[in-house]
Amino acid sequence: MTAFIFYVFAATVLVSALCVVLLRNVLHSALFLGLALAGVAGIFASLSADFLFAAQILIYVGGIAVLILFVVLLAARSSELRARQVNQQWLAGAVVCGLILYGLCRYLGRFGRPAAAGPAHPTTLGLGRLLLGDQAIPFELVSLILMAALAGAVLFSKPEKSE
Amino acid sequence: MTLNHYLVLSAALFAIGVFGALTRRNVIGVLMSVELMFNAANINLAAFNRFLHPEGLAGQAVVLFVITVAAAEVVVGLALILAIYRDVQTIHAEDFNLMKG
Repeated sequence: MTAFIFYVFAATVLVSALCVVLLRNVLHSALFLGLALAGVAGIFASLSADFLFAAQILIYVGGIAVLILFVVLLAARSSELRARQVNQQWLAGAVVCGLILYGLCRYLGRFGRPAAAGPAHPTTLGLGRLLLGDQAIPFELVSLILMAALAGAVLFSKPEKSE
Repeated sequence: MTLNHYLVLSAALFAIGVFGALTRRNVIGVLMSVELMFNAANINLAAFNRFLHPEGLAGQAVVLFVITVAAAEVVVGLALILAIYRDVQTIHAEDFNLMKG
């Protein structure tokens, strides 16, 4: 049963990621990106990372995918929907990706031994303790990054003053 | 399910993301491919945490940081794309050549 669930989610993730990369229509790509991110959330759930599952749905699927969809709707023109979406180096890009995949898979063999996955526990309490205890300083620094991103987004999206 | 299954899935997702980032003409497509690569790294972190260090949660904490920083990156990136689009009326990467000598 676990294997079946894993393969369903893995197939969802890989197929929709391929659609993100290969489809001509950017709007469809953005929609498939949401599906791929939701599939990754399912993978997190199968890894018994319940808080990550919730965070992935909330931030990625509910935030980032919707934001990208908005920008696609704002910045795309209908004449571009049938234009070529890959550049002329796609063959070289495919070769590079194949080499990366081959190299990664060669070195994955050393993790081949079946690692014992113990019984799953809820992780939210432990994560909260960790973030506010050992990793309190990175946790606070991340809020600084969010503040800077907020200010930067407002600054960049402000219309320029005419001189 | 073994650790290897998750690592192979993550490697395949990362390769797809690299292909998209290298070949998409559309800047928003490049941004989406970068998100796919972030997710591949996150799957790796969560899988290592689950199978090799099940007693701790440090890997999942790193995943949370990655998700947060990715959200900030997307916000700033999309604001930049919109600003450039207002200026040059295109989102194709090869047309962003204002600084070409």
